[in-house]
Amino acid sequence: MTSRLRDSLRTAASDVPAYPVYEKALATARRSRRRTALAAMAALVLTALAGALLPATGSSVPAAGTDAALPDRVGVPPRGSLHATDRPRIGPSSVIFTGRADGMEWANEHSIIAIVGADSDRYRIIKGEADTRAGANTVLSPDGRQIAFSELDSTGPRVRIVDLATGDSRTVDSGIPNTVQVVPVAWSPDGRTLVLRDTLPPNDDALSIVTLDGERIRLAEAGEPGSPVAFSPDGARLAFQSGRNVSVVDLAGRRLSSFTLPPETELAGKGAWSADGRTLTMTRHEGMRWSLRRVDPTTGRDLGALDVPAVSGVTAIRLLGWSADGSARVVAYQPAATAEVRFDIFLEMEQRLAYANVSTVQVLALGRGAGTPTTLLTAPQGVIAIDVADNVIRGGQVRHANPPTAFGPRFWLWTGLITVLLVGIVLYRTREKLALWLDDQRVSRRQAAD
Amino acid sequence: MAETFHDFVVQRSAALSRRAYLLTGDHQLAEDLLQNALARTYRHWRRITDPEAYVRRAMYHQQVTWWRRRRLVERLESEPTEQPGDDHSDTTALRLTLAAALRQLTARQRAVVVLRFYEDLTEAQVAEVLGCSVGTVKRHGYDAIRRLRAIAPDLVDRTTERSAR
Repeated sequence: MTSRLRDSLRTAASDVPAYPVYEKALATARRSRRRTALAAMAALVLTALAGALLPATGSSVPAAGTDAALPDRVGVPPRGSLHATDRPRIGPSSVIFTGRADGMEWANEHSIIAIVGADSDRYRIIKGEADTRAGANTVLSPDGRQIAFSELDSTGPRVRIVDLATGDSRTVDSGIPNTVQVVPVAWSPDGRTLVLRDTLPPNDDALSIVTLDGERIRLAEAGEPGSPVAFSPDGARLAFQSGRNVSVVDLAGRRLSSFTLPPETELAGKGAWSADGRTLTMTRHEGMRWSLRRVDPTTGRDLGALDVPAVSGVTAIRLLGWSADGSARVVAYQPAATAEVRFDIFLEMEQRLAYANVSTVQVLALGRGAGTPTTLLTAPQGVIAIDVADNVIRGGQVRHANPPTAFGPRFWLWTGLITVLLVGIVLYRTREKLALWLDDQRVSRRQAAD
Repeated sequence: MAETFHDFVVQRSAALSRRAYLLTGDHQLAEDLLQNALARTYRHWRRITDPEAYVRRAMYHQQVTWWRRRRLVERLESEPTEQPGDDHSDTTALRLTLAAALRQLTARQRAVVVLRFYEDLTEAQVAEVLGCSVGTVKRHGYDAIRRLRAIAPDLVDRTTERSAR
């Protein structure tokens, strides 16, 4: 019944010439191959870039830097900085710091922990909890390779430890039930033991010694909130302040000694033990002038002032440790102009280090016999807490630093991906017009060639 | 099967050109269609066992794709530009009438008409070439014939037309 249509089709097709398309088909195929190869290469490059920059875990371990040094200044990490677990791994760190400067906080006033590479101005960040203070409740291991910080989620509080060389992380806790918050306050010299402080309801604290192997010992004394815990250089003893008392205990939690501090005197910091482990260092302040004194760790007997310069005009100082040349390394807390408290009278250490009362921090060298402190590291306004790896303190090296500015790799990665996505969407939505335009171009080229 | 791509094109380009023309109704578009289908065939030549079927399938799919891209523009065009004139030969007049009529069909309908009534494939074979169901082929075929009857009654059997009514 459609024979006429069949005939019509065959008749109409009968005088159609054979189109001379052989050469053109070959040219089209070769052009198409070139485009496919280029697209594949571009995809390969993008994939390689993404693989290098996107967060991922891996087993490559950067070598520990032999040139670990204190940067002479630190800067607020650029927006879009890589995270501590991103590739490439940063490896051991020299300095970590926290604060309330623009770019140092994220959602709902949570803190960003800034991490500086051991021997270069590579920066990484960790998004921490609110009121995170480097050196007080967020601590860098002695070799600068691990950071311990508090973490709080729906399953409860714990301490997370991130290995900066591998990107691996793990959690530890004190095992104390009903704890409201647990923070790390000190690393042992071998980096295998942490001291944790639990906040217990209604208004109590507890210190625990926790090994990374899982052993946990709760100490009898609570420890003073805001006060440092100092491991002896051999790692066998630790000293901490509880009220006006200083206690020295061994790693089994046995009390070795305890003594009462005179007024205006505090345990100096994580570097309070002398290098030989025979004396403890205390800070004493007169008004806003702070100096260092030695005491006997067994009896608390004052052994006299150290032959290092005093630090004036600060809310407090904390002793980080001793460098190879015998000079002390301290953090000096500069008072905030807007502070609503006086620092030249009695004030709890926690208040002296509080966010609202500190404008910035400096790391100072207090040389033996020197007349004045030497400023080794400066930080922007709003950086109010800092911790330095023990090996950097001991090595005593300071390097000229040039902190990164503008935007970090994550910003550019996401900007690039979003741009590619938007261009893809635009091309997809205009594909019909684009195809017509390309067809027109092809026809025009052919007409021009003919 | 031809030994080389060149032999294949030499031997089959006339038949492929006719098929391309019927699919597009336009020499220029037909040449583009064949060129693209052959380019795609060349790129996969080593893996192709039946080049004739491959080119045919490529042309039909390419034509449907092009039609989708061009249909907006085509809808904006006025009446078909090629009209049969008194000074043309009968064959030319028929070709122009057919081309004008085929342009009124959708790409799928046109493909079904060419495959069914020019290449004499069964509905199942057409469905395989177009990658659709037999039911879809039947529907497109029915719609195409009905439309051709309305546009160019001379192209289809009058007796059939009358009996269909």
